[in-house]
Amino acid sequence: MAIEVIDPALCNGCGICVRNCPMDVIRMNREHRKAEIRYQADCMLCGQCLECPEKAIYLKPGWPKPYLLGWG
Amino acid sequence: MTVLIKCDVLVIGGGMAGWFAAAKAREQGLDILLVDKGYVSKSGETPYAGDTAVFDPEWGHDLARWMEQVSVVGEYMNNRHWNELVFRDSRERFADLRSYGVQFLEKDGRVVRLPHPHANIELPDTHKFPPTASEVVHWLPGFPEKVRRHLIKIGVKLKDRFMVTELLKQEGRVVGAIGFSIEGNHAEVIKAKAVVVSAGGGGFRPVGYPTHELTADGHAMAYRVGAVMTSKEFVSPHATNPDDPAWPPMYLFFSAGHSAAEPGAFQAPHLFNAEGHEVPARGVAWHGWIDAEYEAHEGRAPLMVDLGRRGVLKVSGPGGHGSMFGHATGGIVPVNDDCATDVPGLYAAGDSCGTCFIGANYSGFGFATAHAAATGARAGLGAAADAKTLGAAGGLDERVVAAATARLLEPLERKGGFTPNWATQVLQNTLAPYFVLYIKHGDRLQTALSTVEFLRDHIAPKLYARNDHELRLAHETKNMILNAEMKLRSSLARTESRGTHYREDFPGRNDAEWLAWVRLKEDDGRMVAFKKPIPAEWHPDAAKTYEERYPMRLPNEVAGGGCAAPPGASLEGAAAESGAAPSSSSSAGPGAADREGRR
Repeated sequence: MAIEVIDPALCNGCGICVRNCPMDVIRMNREHRKAEIRYQADCMLCGQCLECPEKAIYLKPGWPKPYLLGWG
Repeated sequence: MTVLIKCDVLVIGGGMAGWFAAAKAREQGLDILLVDKGYVSKSGETPYAGDTAVFDPEWGHDLARWMEQVSVVGEYMNNRHWNELVFRDSRERFADLRSYGVQFLEKDGRVVRLPHPHANIELPDTHKFPPTASEVVHWLPGFPEKVRRHLIKIGVKLKDRFMVTELLKQEGRVVGAIGFSIEGNHAEVIKAKAVVVSAGGGGFRPVGYPTHELTADGHAMAYRVGAVMTSKEFVSPHATNPDDPAWPPMYLFFSAGHSAAEPGAFQAPHLFNAEGHEVPARGVAWHGWIDAEYEAHEGRAPLMVDLGRRGVLKVSGPGGHGSMFGHATGGIVPVNDDCATDVPGLYAAGDSCGTCFIGANYSGFGFATAHAAATGARAGLGAAADAKTLGAAGGLDERVVAAATARLLEPLERKGGFTPNWATQVLQNTLAPYFVLYIKHGDRLQTALSTVEFLRDHIAPKLYARNDHELRLAHETKNMILNAEMKLRSSLARTESRGTHYREDFPGRNDAEWLAWVRLKEDDGRMVAFKKPIPAEWHPDAAKTYEERYPMRLPNEVAGGGCAAPPGASLEGAAAESGAAPSSSSSAGPGAADREGRR
């Protein structure tokens, strides 16, 4: 669901995904200097984090939130 | 601690409209600050746009034909003055974009121009649409980054990842704004001589569309300082897939859009209902969208669309559908050609600006970007001229700042309450079902409004945030609740069907009563709806029959806007509940005379 993985082995800490995410889903882990998925529930699958130069990010199709009556 | 930043013109929102506002104001030699919740060039709706409409007589375009198309598809709710301004401006804005370094799709050294896809849609009345009623040009990927670089080069100051929560108003004039950094828990005050709101429109975080940061912040902050809103009853519908509603993401559609928009290649999709029968494309709005909704309403969903060689796609279920927002129609009412508003010091541009450009129904590819560019440039020049008339402005009133700071931080101060995520989901469940904002009825609108009023009065004041991320969500949720009230009250006020506004209890256009815009304004703490008549010279030709004026049909249509509910009672009830002025006194709503006088 939503943004699924930022591979820490590939992430070079450039921060492009952090700044590109309009929904503040990704934050920089200052200790490890790697980007991490902090607020996954707010991912809207815009795909702008896929600008990752290291191809460290994987998005999974689907909707991350439960819904009662729902869209669709 | 409160941080203070000073500038001449503050631009809130860094999409197409904000870019042009900032660039044009900067060209006047002023100190410009452009702020955005995201990263300018990656935020708002602009990164997903693929094209912009360009009107150019040298390309053989006929202004009268372009205008006619907007009027017929927009069902006469379009503002023809703004249609002409935006169309005439579009060639210069296109030239500006090229001068900023934006590259456009070219073939043999010439920019490729593509006709309006509607020209090829097999509507029953195809002949009524001129073969070339608009034309678009496509930019190449990476265009927002080019503009960002240009803005930095000319000296516009950018403040990324910063959310404005309120406009600061002092002695009747907007003098700045207050907000906070997305990664930060403290208030920052921006003092400005003039402010342009170009923060987009607003939806309710629909699945399948990357519009989740567009929570009507611009509309909400302007309304709260007294701006007049217009045309919130119209929607911009986009179907999604019910099985995987958030996939594929919108950018895939847009990247495919270039080939789909090749001349002659765009075909009207054939929709089939669950019984295998083709859904008639009799209705309006994005390829028979009301018909699709109505099929679901009648229990014949899911619907399937035949994409030819690309297979068959399930497009709708019995629930709601993806919906964006009023693109280039509803929003903050501009009072002059510079996009000034009723509130001194405040300007509006792009989807935040309620020019009523497209009217009741979106008619053209590339219109929203052309509108954003034109209104952005105008607002930027207007705000700059306004700022230049002011000398060194006085200080900010400490009490105004203190009160706004307290409201900004309030969700963080609370120890408990309701989470923004939960409140947003309740709001979505109130509005998302198709029978609220799509297939409307006065009773159901009233029911939804009751819930929204409860959210407004009881839940919104008790939203709490555990960190900076939730602080943003809390303010966005409050804005969405306000936007919901606007959409419901406007929908209740318009007691007819028109364009994307379909009322099951008033299934027809009523020209006698409703060649008027629905405006909203705060009056003594209450949201009041009132009518603003559309100039008579823009009305459809009364000599034409109803079917000639409105070539597209509605389910259970009653020509002239017949009342399906018990006559009289429902009409008066809806108008009274919404606070709509009766038609007899519709010529002057609150503030109407003032606005006319300043025009």
